[in-house]
Amino acid sequence: MTAVLLLMVIVPALGAVLAGVLGKRRAPVVAVAAAAVVAVLAVWSVATSFGTSYRDAVGTLPWLTGAVDSPVFGVLLDPLGSVLLLVATLIGFLTVLYSAAYMGERNRDHAVVLSQQGPYYFRLLLFLASMVGVALAPNFLQLFLFWELTTVCSWSLIAFYGNEKSLRAGFKALLITHIGGLFFLLAVLILFVQTRSFAFGALAQLPESLRRWVFLFLMIAAWAKAAQVPFHTWLPDAMEAPTPISAYLHAAAMVKAGVFLMARAVSSGWAMPPGLGMLMGAMALVTMFLALSYYFVQDDLKRLLAYSTIAHLGYVLLGVALGALGSITGFRGGVLHIACHGFSKATLFLCAGAIVYATGTRSISALGGLARSMPLTAVAFFVGLLAVTGVPPFACFWSKFMLLEGAMKLGGIVGPVLVGLVLVESLISFGWMLRVGQKIFLGPVTPVAAVNSDPPWPMSVTLVALMIGCLVIPAVAMPLVQLIGR
Amino acid sequence: MSTVSLLGLSAALLLAGALVSLVLGGRRKASGWASVGFVGAAGVALWAVVVRTFSAGPDPEVTLLSLPAIGAGFVVSVDCLSAIFLAITGTIGFLTTLYSVEYMTRYRTDSVAKYYPLLQLLFAGIVGVVATGDFVFFLVFWELMTFASFFLVTFEREVRANQRAGFKYFVVNQAATFGMIAAALILWTRSGSFRFSAMRDALGGLVTTQPALAHLVLFLFFMGFATKAGILPMGDWLPDAYPAAPSGATAAFGGTMTKLGVYGLLRVFLYFLPLSPVTRTWGLAIALAGAVSLFVGTLTALKQDDIKRLMSFHVIGQVGYMFLGIGLGLFFLPSNPTLAALGLLAGTFHMINHSLYKSCLFLGAGAVAFRTGTRSLSALGGLRAFMPATAMYALTAALAIAGVPPLNGFASKWLMYATAILGGKAFPLFAVLGIVAMFISLVTLASFLKYLGSAFLGPPSPLRGVREVPASMLVPQAFLALACVVFGLVPAWPLAFVHRALTGLASAASLPRLESLLGDGPGLQAGSDLVRVAFWAPLPIAAALALLGLAAYFLIQRAAGAPVRNVPVWTCGEEAGPELSRYPATSLYLPFKRAFQGIYPSIHLRAPAFPSWLRRAFDLDAWLYLPVARAVEGGARAVSRTHVGIPQVYLLWIVVGAIAVVGIVLAFLG
Repeated sequence: MTAVLLLMVIVPALGAVLAGVLGKRRAPVVAVAAAAVVAVLAVWSVATSFGTSYRDAVGTLPWLTGAVDSPVFGVLLDPLGSVLLLVATLIGFLTVLYSAAYMGERNRDHAVVLSQQGPYYFRLLLFLASMVGVALAPNFLQLFLFWELTTVCSWSLIAFYGNEKSLRAGFKALLITHIGGLFFLLAVLILFVQTRSFAFGALAQLPESLRRWVFLFLMIAAWAKAAQVPFHTWLPDAMEAPTPISAYLHAAAMVKAGVFLMARAVSSGWAMPPGLGMLMGAMALVTMFLALSYYFVQDDLKRLLAYSTIAHLGYVLLGVALGALGSITGFRGGVLHIACHGFSKATLFLCAGAIVYATGTRSISALGGLARSMPLTAVAFFVGLLAVTGVPPFACFWSKFMLLEGAMKLGGIVGPVLVGLVLVESLISFGWMLRVGQKIFLGPVTPVAAVNSDPPWPMSVTLVALMIGCLVIPAVAMPLVQLIGR
Repeated sequence: MSTVSLLGLSAALLLAGALVSLVLGGRRKASGWASVGFVGAAGVALWAVVVRTFSAGPDPEVTLLSLPAIGAGFVVSVDCLSAIFLAITGTIGFLTTLYSVEYMTRYRTDSVAKYYPLLQLLFAGIVGVVATGDFVFFLVFWELMTFASFFLVTFEREVRANQRAGFKYFVVNQAATFGMIAAALILWTRSGSFRFSAMRDALGGLVTTQPALAHLVLFLFFMGFATKAGILPMGDWLPDAYPAAPSGATAAFGGTMTKLGVYGLLRVFLYFLPLSPVTRTWGLAIALAGAVSLFVGTLTALKQDDIKRLMSFHVIGQVGYMFLGIGLGLFFLPSNPTLAALGLLAGTFHMINHSLYKSCLFLGAGAVAFRTGTRSLSALGGLRAFMPATAMYALTAALAIAGVPPLNGFASKWLMYATAILGGKAFPLFAVLGIVAMFISLVTLASFLKYLGSAFLGPPSPLRGVREVPASMLVPQAFLALACVVFGLVPAWPLAFVHRALTGLASAASLPRLESLLGDGPGLQAGSDLVRVAFWAPLPIAAALALLGLAAYFLIQRAAGAPVRNVPVWTCGEEAGPELSRYPATSLYLPFKRAFQGIYPSIHLRAPAFPSWLRRAFDLDAWLYLPVARAVEGGARAVSRTHVGIPQVYLLWIVVGAIAVVGIVLAFLG
């Protein structure tokens, strides 16, 4: 088992190097193969370890021998990690497959020349490896290392096209998420100095006064990584990245590392001070409504989706906060939302990518009537839209419903008020998303939308797979989150 | 076969049909006929469930899937009430699909791949809604139904108005569904399960311990179901959305989907809600909502020019009748079971009748549009000469909806009037409502006379080359029109089934037996246990009417025996075409239109506009991050000025630095 788990980090890392070296035409093939292997291994390991929590030590740092109570490096596969692992590897594979067609010369938004293939897949696969590392990390130190690796990959991929705008956006993302990372480091150091341990469970051993600060620092790190208020401004700018990157890093995987950190911290011993739990929940609500307010002024389809991502990460953090306040159902709902939102938002982003690929624009007002020329994309977009806004039987309905149950369990007036607010947010965002979907795909055909057809087969296959994912992922992830408990 | 396997079979058939028709999407007719086959087979399976449920009693609940994580489970539970809706869905579903085969050839540019699959998903959703016994899955199917119908409403992709209508429909219904989710969650915190039986227990508990919360829950449920049913003002989406869909789908909406609002209402108020004073309060509220809806909806229908829009307003009006009947029944349920039974029977029977005639009317309107290409009454005229069969079915259904005896609409309305007038003794307001309902029946008749007169009678409009629609479009209309007649002549048959369905619901279990209410003949003798106040024997009366009609026909024939001389009308030498001498539909009922002008207010919602200061406050980049970044950059530039590249200056810095360090050290040591 340990070997398999390690392979999931090593294979994409090797693949990255190989793709980088081979470059040109062979890079996509290598990348797709590596990502497919990782996805299969991930499914296998999650299936075989189902219901258990697998933990193994791998090695330690020589200069830390004696200073810490247990080896620093290892692997941990538990239900919480499994959820992130599945999202990261499955959507990772689909993204790589999609990229094989998207990152080509026929892309009307940004034609990608062959020589850029190597660097692109190098970074993408390196990101996949580091994301697997995040999901499998058994302690805060390892989590921190892979976490920073994802930040680096994110920076270089946002800036991939190398123009002024994308360089700026990449730098901004790097700065903000890295400042968050520094807070993470600070928290880990305090933890280490106090308890001689990097273990997740060590949080509970901290004295109350310090624990508050450690949790606060971790929360700041999570906010920055997950683009929560007040650190949300980097994510919309990061939409300068190639669309598969936006779908994978900035909707499905990397930003989820932030909420994953909080889920880890909270669920290891459930020692989060309730005051901070309140703060996290309140900020999640603020984020949801702030992001919602940006919908109405957004003409750029990808930026709109980015704001929606910010709001949905708020949902996850709300769930985690509910967990910190004692509602395990809410916590599970939040974790389930990681998976459900990952698939639905990836669907929407990759549809946006298909539109950009075919038309060269992502301006909502310029697009119209695309369903005639791109029926598959239209179906996928509407499935993604219904999934992300929580229309049953699609993905996010189940996670939102669980979250609402969790909120209701809080009791008092807080629970019903939370339910009311979440439903109001859901309704407004549903309305706006539906309007945008209608504008882009239905209605009269606009000039830019007149000439095109559905994307090439790797992209179409990806869209179909994601549509299926939008339907079945709750069935896969719900049994997993149910195992997360006190 | 058991109920579960039959239902599973029908669901599988509908899903398979959706898939097959999607694959065949490029070939209009093939896709349509395949769908007819699948929907027909599914309909047979559904009817088997109906027969089984009514003959052998409901099967016990079966849990197919359990989701402990959210406390829900997929419970299949079919009682007699569900069975009635399954029968309606199986029948209307098949007929509308059959009708669609030819009708859909009308759309040249829109593929049927986005019609038949969604139509079958819609039917599958409806079957799921009525066959489940767990509220989470109820919601799942409810939403399946909603989004399938959304795509049917927006079928004509390029018509802006249809897109707007679809949007309004989906958002309004989503809001209603969210309300129901909240209500279900409130009950769930009390019972920990979404099973209908658990929700009944929870609501029963709430009614006694926290009546305010119980009212809130009931309000949310009521809003949810009233919205779907089209009760005003929440039903404002309906007159926009119904006409937008292809006529086959419109008929399916009118015949099946809208009715689920009534299903939900019965389920909540007769099953979730135990018999209590709360029932009475809500009975009054529902009756009033129904009365307002039937009044406003029908009067607004009077001014419409678009046939389907006219009929859509009548959907609102007719649902108002159903709510009025059910509301009256609920009001009297705790105190007077006889009146309660009459009201509930009236409302539920009216729902079935409405399925029949409204589907028939929508199909007829579609037939007119199919041949003439227009739905505007002012542009039509004299179609009876070209489309005699369609005209006859439309006439039958129109008289049925207007409540003209001996058709089915009269039978249910008559029970409703009886309940309202008898109930007026105990609660005078109901007598007023009964009179309003009668008056509105007249308005309905007026409105449909306008439709019949403008579209089918009068001199032929300038339309050329109009002929009767193909047989596959006539058969569904003929069947429905015939059903209207049969249900009108022998109302006791369907009422027996309705009565069984109602008494199967826990809170209505003690209703009096049907025979003691209405006698055991085919006629209806309302309130026979109390005092026989009214008597309605449709068969003899129909026979008498038929004889009178024949006599009148012969008399007129004889009286009009004078020779007819055909000459053009003399108009003082003016050239006057038939257009000038026609009485257009828009000119009808002008005083009414003037009197009730403001009765249907229209509200336009806009996207919220944010004050600019708020937007600036949200823009953290502008006032926080960029200034900080610039300050850091400026600071760095200031520091970099010290790097001048001259060794002497660096040496000077070293000396200054050394002095500073020594100073600090000394200060600390000293």
